Amino acid sequence: MGLLSIIRKIKRKEKEMRILMVGLDNSGKTTIVLKINGEDTSVISPTLGFNIKTMTYDKYTLNIWDVGGQKTIRSYWRNYFEQTDGLVWVVDSSDLRRLDDCKFELDNLLKEERLSGASLLVFANKQDIQGALSPDEIAKVLNLDAMDKTRHWRIVGCSAYTGEGLLEGFDWLVQDIASRIYVLD
Amino acid sequence: MDNQQALSTTATDMSTDPTLDSTTQRKLAAMIERLSSLHQSRVSTKTDLKDPSFESTKSFILLFTNSKQEIESSLTQIQQNSDTNPTLDLKPELEKISLSITELEKFVAESSYFLPPYEVRSSLKTISDLKQTLDSVTSKVKPRKKFSFKNKHAKKPETANVVTKEAIENEPEQQMSYKPKDSPGYRNKENEILIKEFKGSEIGEFVLSNLTNCEVRLKGCFRSLFIDRLQNCKIYVGPVLGSILIEQVEGCLFVVASHQIRIHHAKESDFYLRCRSRPIIEQSFGVRFAPYCLCYDGIESDLKESNLDDDTGSWANVDDFQWLRAVQSPNWSVLQERERIDTVKI
Ligand SMILES: Nc1nc2c(ncn2[C@@H]2O[C@H](COP(=O)(O)OP(=O)(O)OP(=O)(O)O)[C@@H](O)[C@H]2O)c(=O)[nH]1
Ligand SMILES: [Mg+2]
Repeated sequence: MGLLSIIRKIKRKEKEMRILMVGLDNSGKTTIVLKINGEDTSVISPTLGFNIKTMTYDKYTLNIWDVGGQKTIRSYWRNYFEQTDGLVWVVDSSDLRRLDDCKFELDNLLKEERLSGASLLVFANKQDIQGALSPDEIAKVLNLDAMDKTRHWRIVGCSAYTGEGLLEGFDWLVQDIASRIYVLD
Repeated sequence: MDNQQALSTTATDMSTDPTLDSTTQRKLAAMIERLSSLHQSRVSTKTDLKDPSFESTKSFILLFTNSKQEIESSLTQIQQNSDTNPTLDLKPELEKISLSITELEKFVAESSYFLPPYEVRSSLKTISDLKQTLDSVTSKVKPRKKFSFKNKHAKKPETANVVTKEAIENEPEQQMSYKPKDSPGYRNKENEILIKEFKGSEIGEFVLSNLTNCEVRLKGCFRSLFIDRLQNCKIYVGPVLGSILIEQVEGCLFVVASHQIRIHHAKESDFYLRCRSRPIIEQSFGVRFAPYCLCYDGIESDLKESNLDDDTGSWANVDDFQWLRAVQSPNWSVLQERERIDTVKI
């Protein structure tokens, strides 16, 4: 492998989960990731490329990939599909005008064969904003009910601003993945 | 990429990473600290010609290019092997390459806090291309791979979301596209002066949509602002705590303050900004930037309340997401001082 071995070896450790966070730009992905990791969220620039965050959650190690959602870089999303255990789709519940756009991108994503085994958590974010749609309303707009019956999914209202709902969402996601992947060993 | 933010992100990642031994961790911590103070000094003295981050960028490029070449030559090798000996099992080789690409990708992510945006973008593109090549080699060598994938996923049990589904089914409306209510805002106006003052009451999002030849003055703080389809408008806005999204505007003047500002499809417009992070543009041209210059009774305390009271100079650090090269994007520029408007009092 030569020089490649200089780059830190990554091992697929036991109890490791790979989580992909996507959604339109401005939906709050980076804020959510920093918030659950207890970091400062006061200065965040729109993500150019991606961030990886490794954190311990229960007895699991989560590798969270936070990928930028600006239109010009959405085509890179597919680079991160491989080996994804959990998909987190983040919605700005106060951005009513772009909900069509949001539905379109999510539908495309769910057609991806490489993601067909991943549990789906939809975060209806920015619930602290007055006028934000409720999780039920978001579920209706996105027509989540019509999803492929084999998919494990759940929608949770949250606010990266107050932190509300974030743990509830991640609890479900981690439990769901664990019950699929680690129940056998 | 916001150096500050990425810096802290990476620092936590590495220090909590159990795969690194303590010496390496110490070295990394020292390096991060060094980079951090370099970053600080760069922020304070903007005219630093010998950019000290050059060294690390250079070694990144060297390492990255070498790895890329290794991966490419392995891929070529595999293709040749399969041509000469079609029965050979190349699966382990392909998996190894896939792993190498993932490693390289992680390397980019971990380096992205010190790399210039251009290097990040072009490395991402390279990785995307490598994956594509790997995919096409894989499908040539093992045409039945995709097939077995499908079988594997077909056997999933159905559980989990029962509660959520029921809740949705009980709703009376069943049509395909559900139309929610509208946010507060100004819509479909021409030749008007629109004035609003947000006081005390908790204001969430506000919308400016489809306005022509209008002047808009919004005083006070609120959470987020969505702007779309404006022609020849003048927009004066007090501090926005969250973010501003601006789409499809032409011939407009904006004087706005916010933590984040995203500008899409803007033409020939001027932006006077106060911003805590890097403003970004996409599919825009002829856009110019200058510092915030708004004044009304009580603006100082509003700015303070929104944590936007000092000008960090971020308004000039515009990222053009469509501009891949290291040289200045032709789509935006900094407004010359003599061309700027005076402070606007509303
Ligand atoms: N009020 C409120 N604002 C939020 C919330 N979550 C995020 N924001 C704000 O929304 C804006 C966008 O947040 P980011 O985390 O940068 O969004 P992102 O999804 O990572 O965006 P990209 O990196 O461009 O894809 C920021 O100004 C945040 O402060 C929330 O729950 N409530
Ligand atoms: Mg982001």
